[in-house]
Amino acid sequence: MSTCRESELDALLAGELAPEDAARVRAHAEGCAACKHALAWQRLERGWMAQRARREPARPALSFAALEARLAHEPQAPVRHARREGQWRHWGKMAMAAAAAVAFVGLSLPRGGTGVGGTTEEPWSRELIVATGVEACEDAAAALEARVGACLIASPMVALRGD
Amino acid sequence: MALLSAVKMVLVGAPPSDTDGERGLLRRARTGDPAAFRTIFERHSPGVWRFLRDLLRDESAADEATQETFVRAHSRLSALRDEDRVGSWLLGIARHVYLESRRTRGVHVDVADEEHAHQVEAVLPTPSPEDLLLDQELAGLLTEALGMLHAERRAALLLRIDHGLAYEEIASVMGWSLPKVKNEIHRARLRLREQLAAHVGGGRP
Ligand SMILES: [Zn+2]
Repeated sequence: MSTCRESELDALLAGELAPEDAARVRAHAEGCAACKHALAWQRLERGWMAQRARREPARPALSFAALEARLAHEPQAPVRHARREGQWRHWGKMAMAAAAAVAFVGLSLPRGGTGVGGTTEEPWSRELIVATGVEACEDAAAALEARVGACLIASPMVALRGD
Repeated sequence: MALLSAVKMVLVGAPPSDTDGERGLLRRARTGDPAAFRTIFERHSPGVWRFLRDLLRDESAADEATQETFVRAHSRLSALRDEDRVGSWLLGIARHVYLESRRTRGVHVDVADEEHAHQVEAVLPTPSPEDLLLDQELAGLLTEALGMLHAERRAALLLRIDHGLAYEEIASVMGWSLPKVKNEIHRARLRLREQLAAHVGGGRP
């Protein structure tokens, strides 16, 4: 039975695996060129999707007022908001939760080493696979963010308008 | 830097549950609290719009479809259960709105998505950290490449890598078995990588 499963690598990056499963998948990926390659692509995909989401401009149709106007003409009971406060109250929590969902994208960015490519046999450093802890993670993510002056990895789920 | 503190908090054990706060919100919305529904809208409409835009490949159509999604959501709030995740529920409604819109708009032939994925991985470059930066042009290319995927496969992939749904949730939204979800997403990934290969690693100018 093959132990190379893209969905498991994906679950690893998403932080969805139980500790023992995560350890098993990491251990396998460390010694498997194909899985290292797939992980590098998955990190890229997640990172790119997150950045793409952050780039989306605000849409006029996404205003609640427009929706309210439409709801007012629906046969269902219309939404009438008695109070307007608090709609952003949960953003902090959401941002954190969303960051958790994609945190692994940033956890193990390898330092240096540009231009890797060509074959799937190309060896990757251990750092690519294993999130060694807060320090390593912050170093790698911070170095990259410092270079571009922006937070690279955020979740598409928190694509704040006007960002 | 907010990201880094968030990551750190996650690593040191802050609760990572993304349903945190959603349950209470859902309960309030169900009992007719308009502020709660507004919060749901503010929180989820950008993602719903992006999902619909990626499926419809038409921004104006996505505007309308997003509104329609929330109109339907509003009328179906009472059907939601406590354990449901609002995000995946909304994306499920959005998918139905998309399917209806596609039928209404008539001809919409998906780009052929031939399965020659087996050899693909062997020739793909491995992305380097340098590739992680997505500029405007690449963002456009990415959206374009996503649009080349078979629509159903595209939807499943987006639900996973853009909207963060669990495989089980995707199975529910798509009406597929779990193995099919994994298989389709895997195929979508290979196809997407093939489209993007020229822009990563050694292939990038
Ligand atoms: Zn492997």
